[in-house]
Amino acid sequence: MDVSDLEPPAPLVDTLEAAETLASGEYLRMVHRRDPCLLRDHLNQRGFGYITRSQEEGCVQTFIWRRGDAEAEAAARAVDKENSA
Amino acid sequence: MSYATLSLKQSPHFSVPMRYYLSAPLFTMAAAVILLWKGPDALVSRWIPSLLAMTHFLTLGFLAMVMFGSVQQILPVLMGSPVPRPRLVSRTIHGLMSVGILLLCSGFLSGQARLFQGAVIFLGAGSGLFIAVVAYCLIRAQSAHATVTATALAITALGITVSLGLYLAAGYGWTAIPQSHLLTNLHLAWGLSGWVALLIIGVSYQVIPMFHVTPDYPRLVTRWLSKLLFLGLVAWTIASLMVHQASWTAGLAAVCLAIYALATLNLKRRRRRRLSDVTLDYWQLAAASLLAAVLCWTAEQLIPGLTIPPVLLGILWVVGFAMSAISGMLHKIAPFIIWLQLNNHRQIQGRIQGKIPTMKQIIPEAWARWQLRLHTAALGLLLGAALWPEALTYPAALALFLAAALLWWNLVSATRLCLKLTRRQQTEY
Repeated sequence: MDVSDLEPPAPLVDTLEAAETLASGEYLRMVHRRDPCLLRDHLNQRGFGYITRSQEEGCVQTFIWRRGDAEAEAAARAVDKENSA
Repeated sequence: MSYATLSLKQSPHFSVPMRYYLSAPLFTMAAAVILLWKGPDALVSRWIPSLLAMTHFLTLGFLAMVMFGSVQQILPVLMGSPVPRPRLVSRTIHGLMSVGILLLCSGFLSGQARLFQGAVIFLGAGSGLFIAVVAYCLIRAQSAHATVTATALAITALGITVSLGLYLAAGYGWTAIPQSHLLTNLHLAWGLSGWVALLIIGVSYQVIPMFHVTPDYPRLVTRWLSKLLFLGLVAWTIASLMVHQASWTAGLAAVCLAIYALATLNLKRRRRRRLSDVTLDYWQLAAASLLAAVLCWTAEQLIPGLTIPPVLLGILWVVGFAMSAISGMLHKIAPFIIWLQLNNHRQIQGRIQGKIPTMKQIIPEAWARWQLRLHTAALGLLLGAALWPEALTYPAALALFLAAALLWWNLVSATRLCLKLTRRQQTEY
């Protein structure tokens, strides 16, 4: 999901809506042009796990999964590790 | 990437900036009423008391009010340095400034010394408290990006502007104080090219790329422009005090302002989203007016015998550049602050359900677009009235009043929606 062309607060709102639709084993990969500072609190409050990592200039990638969904978390962490290598 | 790290959780209660935003258009309406009352004679010379009253309703009442409120919002959010006791500080400064502005403008209209004496006390206390609080917060700021530098320079410029302004106002209040046109010119230059321009420039480094999904301003611009503009004003001040008639020494400041205007117009051209955006159109009007003002000033310096009416330059600067940029930002930032308030309120209550209105539901795009049309009409008519006062003063005053009234209505409607939804959130919880 690429929200980097959206103005605030659309990246936050759209990401949370997409995260709510995650099924078991699924994770969401969100790409934004800046650090999604408000998103973290919302994700914590709503029971999601996440990793955020800055890629090249102007690109921050966030992986989101339902907390307790070990399969989705493992898959997200594997892709994140691959990307950051 | 030069984005500041946003600390949106530290955003103060929305009443902190909003009380300033809600009162600012009322002062613009007061300026328009003076123009309707005094008619074409008010625009004949920059030294006419009714024009001085109008100018201060616009610069102090509209521009400074919005800027004071916005600085109290950006200190915690953009610079990670919250204002201590924000609601009390906001209320106190707002009260002192509102009374001071009314006293000063009543003083210009009536010529009564006591009103000026009161204005000096209230405006001195209000601005002094604001400068002290902002200086304290800037010293503690956790960030050191270009907006922090520009804000620090803007506050220094405000200190100079206020000191000169209080001295000049004291001249009306206490007869023994000597006055000069040079001091008035310095007050004007430090106020408009220093405080107003530097703050708008610094804030635009953040808000234009963030809200309009444009590339950042070029690194050379963000790194040097505000410092060079400040230096240009210092050079012009020293030259003016030593040589007099040294207006060409303001060339460095003029070049900086022209570069900023061109960089802003270029960002609009290079934006990623090609959707229509009313706030970006305000920015375009602001940058074009700034460029026009600089070009008019430069032409006057270079072409012997050419005289640009100072009132025309003032309208281009105050209404065209500063009021356009600030009205545009109000239509973007006020809905965002309200959205943030509703979002934070919901989070504090531990709620995740329930929709918050979108920014375009908080202030509908159509109403913002109408405000832009009225504001542009007011600018055009005021510029025309500076050249042909007999024909255009009354339509210009009416357009200025209607533009301010619609801006006020847009902000009041947004605030009422916020209060209604906050009450509903509390009831449902």
